[in-house]
Amino acid sequence: MSVDMNSQASDSNEEDFGVNSEEEEDEDDGGEEEDQVDIASYYEGVASDVEQQGADSFDPEEYLFTCLTYKESQRVLTDEVNTVAAALKVSPAVAKLILVHFHWHVSQILDRCKSNSSLLLSDALVQPSSACRSVTAPQSLQCGVCLQIVRRDALLALPCQHSFCKACWEQHCTVLVKDGMGVGVSCMAQDCSLQMPEDFVLPLLPGEELKDKYRRYLFRDYVESHFQLQLCPGADCPIVIKVQEPRARRVQCSRCSEVFCFKCRQMYHAPTDCATIRKWLTKCADDSETANYISAHTKDCPKCNICIEKNGGCNHMQCSKCKHDFCWMCLGDWKTHGSEYYECSRYKENPDIVNQSQQAQAREALKKYLFYFERWENHNKSLQLEAQTYQRIQEKIQERVMNNLGTWIDWQYLHNAAKLLAKCRYTLQYTYPYAYYMESGPRKKLFEYQQAQLEAEIENLSWKVERADSYERGVVGGEGELSASDRGDLENQMHIAEQRRRTLLKDFHDT
Amino acid sequence: MSGLPRRITKETQRLFQEPVPGIRATPDEANARYFHVVIAGPADSPFEGGTFKLELFLPEEYPMAAPKVRFMTKIYHPNVDKLGRICLDILKDKWSPALQIRTVLLSIQALLSAPNPDDPLANDVAEQWKNDESEAIKTAKKWTARYAKEK
Ligand SMILES: [Zn+2]
Ligand SMILES: [Zn+2]
Ligand SMILES: [Zn+2]
Ligand SMILES: [Zn+2]
Ligand SMILES: [Zn+2]
Ligand SMILES: [Zn+2]
Repeated sequence: MSVDMNSQASDSNEEDFGVNSEEEEDEDDGGEEEDQVDIASYYEGVASDVEQQGADSFDPEEYLFTCLTYKESQRVLTDEVNTVAAALKVSPAVAKLILVHFHWHVSQILDRCKSNSSLLLSDALVQPSSACRSVTAPQSLQCGVCLQIVRRDALLALPCQHSFCKACWEQHCTVLVKDGMGVGVSCMAQDCSLQMPEDFVLPLLPGEELKDKYRRYLFRDYVESHFQLQLCPGADCPIVIKVQEPRARRVQCSRCSEVFCFKCRQMYHAPTDCATIRKWLTKCADDSETANYISAHTKDCPKCNICIEKNGGCNHMQCSKCKHDFCWMCLGDWKTHGSEYYECSRYKENPDIVNQSQQAQAREALKKYLFYFERWENHNKSLQLEAQTYQRIQEKIQERVMNNLGTWIDWQYLHNAAKLLAKCRYTLQYTYPYAYYMESGPRKKLFEYQQAQLEAEIENLSWKVERADSYERGVVGGEGELSASDRGDLENQMHIAEQRRRTLLKDFHDT
Repeated sequence: MSGLPRRITKETQRLFQEPVPGIRATPDEANARYFHVVIAGPADSPFEGGTFKLELFLPEEYPMAAPKVRFMTKIYHPNVDKLGRICLDILKDKWSPALQIRTVLLSIQALLSAPNPDDPLANDVAEQWKNDESEAIKTAKKWTARYAKEK
């Protein structure tokens, strides 16, 4: 178990977060003119926040979860099954069907049971509805499926009294379970969807192998239907993640280290929401042909035109020949990138586009998509390149420690900086699909403003990490340590970048 | 699987002894799981006067799995696509082992009487059916005359 579920530490934070984001939305209803003022005053607040609080005082991504082994999750399920079985006076197998139907909201089931228990049972498809029960005619001795006359004691039926012979029930269950069905095997009668409890199905399945398969499918369906549980998406990983409140938050498996969004089990994607990221990834897959030409690793220096290859993650480029500083994304002068209004991440929409031809509109739509896609791809590539830098730093630290050049603790800061850089870059990458689908207006302007701030600080951090790495490797300025002031500078930069990241998530990643 | 399940034999016999009006289903001489089906276009439908050929196949798992049915005659219908595949719930998720060849064919006959453009398989046809029903019915009649009249 990785986190103590009972800890109250972050609960108050989560509530604060909810209140903040509501206020934010209210403000957005204001007109365009107020916009600039809003941003400015908003930013003042942030600036003082940065000074007053430590970077770790508020974490909008904080989320409590527990990693359960197969046995532990079985125990969680069994406890709830027993509670419901006892309260409703039904078998554990029937209790499971009821729990699945109500997504394991135990208290909701108990409440409904108090007000109308027969309605609860018929809603959950474990008892025929009272209207249906009265119609049940006395059964003939012919099985309605194989059309054979059978002995009365060879007929089996669920509470709906639709009787069929045992051989037909066996075949029915076998076909469905072989097809991958767990929960959901239902009565064979036409228009009857009464569910078959597992203790009805199991004895009908031939062979231990199929019974085992069925138990596995059932477990999968129980976890999937449970509002607080999620199976780790890692390959063949049996770990189940448990939360109190289901949300689109980052969780990590303690066994296979898989990181994913609790709600949709996809790659974690803050600040973008689950539905939007799915839409974006589908779009990227569909349009991969058109976007292919972007994947260039070389560009020409905008000043001296020498061909420059990008081999680090940082987008602040310096020409090896003329030493011109420029931006890899937009090829603009890097000096303008540090300023208040960093335009590189912002797509300027053509305001007159609605009056133009269909062709022009299609061209504009493609241009807009490519703008966001290019940045999304570029940050993804930067992430990979920075992962290499991180690897190199790790090796270097190892080597230094082995040669008694300082202890592991001495080098920890560089390790932390590279790790934080990856975290920030990851969030930055996922801001682009968010912005792509955002309606224009004051809220988008605020978002783009914060995105630009974050981007600027991340590139500063990346630049400093790469520089520190070069120093340590003796590539720049000869062998020797980074000076204490350089190191303080790097640590300060880490703090600012992380603060920007948290501010953006706090304001835009509502789940 | 060895031999023909008793249920298929019984169903086949009954189809002979008590045929459904407007429907003829004959098992293939070489394969007792394969049926040649002819359905007469129902009266007061755009398919009236036509005879529609279908094929019906009972898979290995029948009756635990639904039969496979397909129109062989071209038909302009919102629930039948270009390949003759039919969009009918009981042939998919609503299949019950208690249903029979007879009930399936009756449901298809009913679908000819009452097309359901809200649950389409052939999207362009369904679109036409919803936007301009009288025009769609005209086209369906034309197709019936052209493809479903026995010469
Ligand atoms: Zn039977
Ligand atoms: Zn039933
Ligand atoms: Zn895992
Ligand atoms: Zn998600
Ligand atoms: Zn240059
Ligand atoms: Zn730029």
